[in-house]
Amino acid sequence: MGQLKMTEVRKTYGTMEVIKGVSLDIAHGEFVVFVGPSGCGKSTLLRMIAGLEEISGGEVAIDGTRVNDLPPVKRGISMVFQSYALYPHMSVYENIAFPLRVSKMPKAELDARVRRASSILKLDERLRHKPGQLSGGQRQRVAIGRSIVRDPQVFLFDEPLSNLDAALRAEMRVELSKLHGELDATMIYVTHDQVEAMTMADRIVVLDGGRISQVGSPLELYHKPANVFVAGFIGNPKMNFLPVTCLGADATGVTVELPGAGRLTLPVSPRDGIAGQALTLGIRPEHLSAEGGDLRLSLMPKVIERLGMQTVAYATHGEEETAFNAILPGSAPARAGTPLSLGLSAADCHLFDAEGQAFERHVALSALDPALMMAASEAG
Amino acid sequence: MINRYRWWEYLLIYLGMAVLLIFILAPFLEAFLVSLRPLDSLFSVPYRFVSDHMSFKAYVTMWQSVPLLWRYMLNSFFVAGSVTVLGLIAIIPAAYAFSRFEFRGRGLLMGAFLSVNMVSGAVLIIPLYKVMQSLGLLNSYISMIAPGVAFVIPTGIWLLRSYLVKIPKELEEAALVDGAGRLYILVRVIIPVALPGIMVVAITTFIAAYAQQFLYALTFNSVNELNPLPVGLYQFFGRQKVVWNELMAASLIGIIPVMLLYVFLQKFIVAGLTSGAVKE
Repeated sequence: MGQLKMTEVRKTYGTMEVIKGVSLDIAHGEFVVFVGPSGCGKSTLLRMIAGLEEISGGEVAIDGTRVNDLPPVKRGISMVFQSYALYPHMSVYENIAFPLRVSKMPKAELDARVRRASSILKLDERLRHKPGQLSGGQRQRVAIGRSIVRDPQVFLFDEPLSNLDAALRAEMRVELSKLHGELDATMIYVTHDQVEAMTMADRIVVLDGGRISQVGSPLELYHKPANVFVAGFIGNPKMNFLPVTCLGADATGVTVELPGAGRLTLPVSPRDGIAGQALTLGIRPEHLSAEGGDLRLSLMPKVIERLGMQTVAYATHGEEETAFNAILPGSAPARAGTPLSLGLSAADCHLFDAEGQAFERHVALSALDPALMMAASEAG
Repeated sequence: MINRYRWWEYLLIYLGMAVLLIFILAPFLEAFLVSLRPLDSLFSVPYRFVSDHMSFKAYVTMWQSVPLLWRYMLNSFFVAGSVTVLGLIAIIPAAYAFSRFEFRGRGLLMGAFLSVNMVSGAVLIIPLYKVMQSLGLLNSYISMIAPGVAFVIPTGIWLLRSYLVKIPKELEEAALVDGAGRLYILVRVIIPVALPGIMVVAITTFIAAYAQQFLYALTFNSVNELNPLPVGLYQFFGRQKVVWNELMAASLIGIIPVMLLYVFLQKFIVAGLTSGAVKE
């Protein structure tokens, strides 16, 4: 079993606090992804779970056992490094067998285990080669092989794909997801690539400055970001933010005034005494449309990217020239330097208070849970 | 970049190299020419580099005039080899510790090792003699090997440490996660990966030991059978005359083991041994 529990975990270097109290429960078999900008502490947190960094405060427990002071191997974890970290003087076979050689496993069993790992990772043909003779993707597979051969309870991945080129990365993403299904193991994965996080994770942990900003399923983070940071981090290009003034609130939602654009009633849970406050409205670029909408916005495109499938407009809004991006389906008739009028729906908008905390949106659960999504489409 | 240098720049570069090489190699050439010439014609006035009756006779007769010559050569090789092996046994773990662990006084210790390097062995030879005497080690191989080892360790640590710090930390962390202990990692991971660096240290240590043994042997040893080649060469200094041609022949033959060792170890100094370990 690979159940992991972190309680108020802290890390300090001298007087600098890098991890500022992280508490998290990870169930057996979960695929959890830590994301965040560089320097947010995600790798440090992973290394603390691995036992490569000392834990300054709090507790890490695996399967109910406190592991704070245990060496890595006793924690039942294995780790795949960003740089592969293969032993260059050993063959692929010996690289994969290394953890078993350390534990002095009998030869027959060792051989069987190495063969099994190599067949899972399609490395059978490569067992006699040295790491130097392999391609980047193969090297990373050897590194993964070395980590699965020991049957650990928890797999730790430290940005394993960031050294691969884009095509290979997409391929390895699928392979890792498959591997997760085959191995029935807990995986904790660190990345700064939100596509990796969105595609592979059961749950995403967004870290910001050593604290957990939000934990949730990928779609939960997309549709109901808890704060401005998560809203801006998930999604590419990032969410657009506009300063608005609150006019009032009732059961249907919060009515806000967009300077120079009009009024909008957003379907979010209101709070007391927000009338008159300055709030932030968030709208994702992909939720802007050329036609219709509850409100029209005038933008000035600066750069247009045409991808065929969609058109991305990097534009500005208003006299302050706030950056405002839009994604339009197909080939949209947009041109840099020519004003563009786009519509937005109140239902797609996010609303944040002055501290950056989100007002809860009224989003149908079928938009968040893939299982409900299937049921809804079958019923409809 | 093609044609980085102008023609006259090339000319200057090659001229510089030529001057340096002549400066270094001329003594060898002269030694070789002297070893070929009969003793009588060595003192001709005006001096001549080439004379009549040149032959390899000295290379045969030297073994008869100094019967223990082979023994001196073996001694030299044995002393330098022992210094190298013992030195490496101390240098490798020390350099590893200096390159990887943060501990109090690390910088101070490294500085201390560097400053030891600045003191010549000759300065310490009298105190060392007293030490050897009180330990009863005079006139033994140990008296020549022990100080040699002590003097090669600081340089070796500095040389090897700079190589070890370049080995990616992830390699060790991966091994650590896989359950290997520090010693296991050192033997199975670090030493194989650091082999080119270790060979460089081995060669410099051997050469240093080969060169410095003269002083220790001359001071600490008076047993003829234990003498290394540089001291043994004094046997060619006879009562009336110095047998220059045989002396030069013996010197040149004495260099051969070092050159052989260099050729043998050089193949380990290959670039790209770490390729494929980590993605930079």
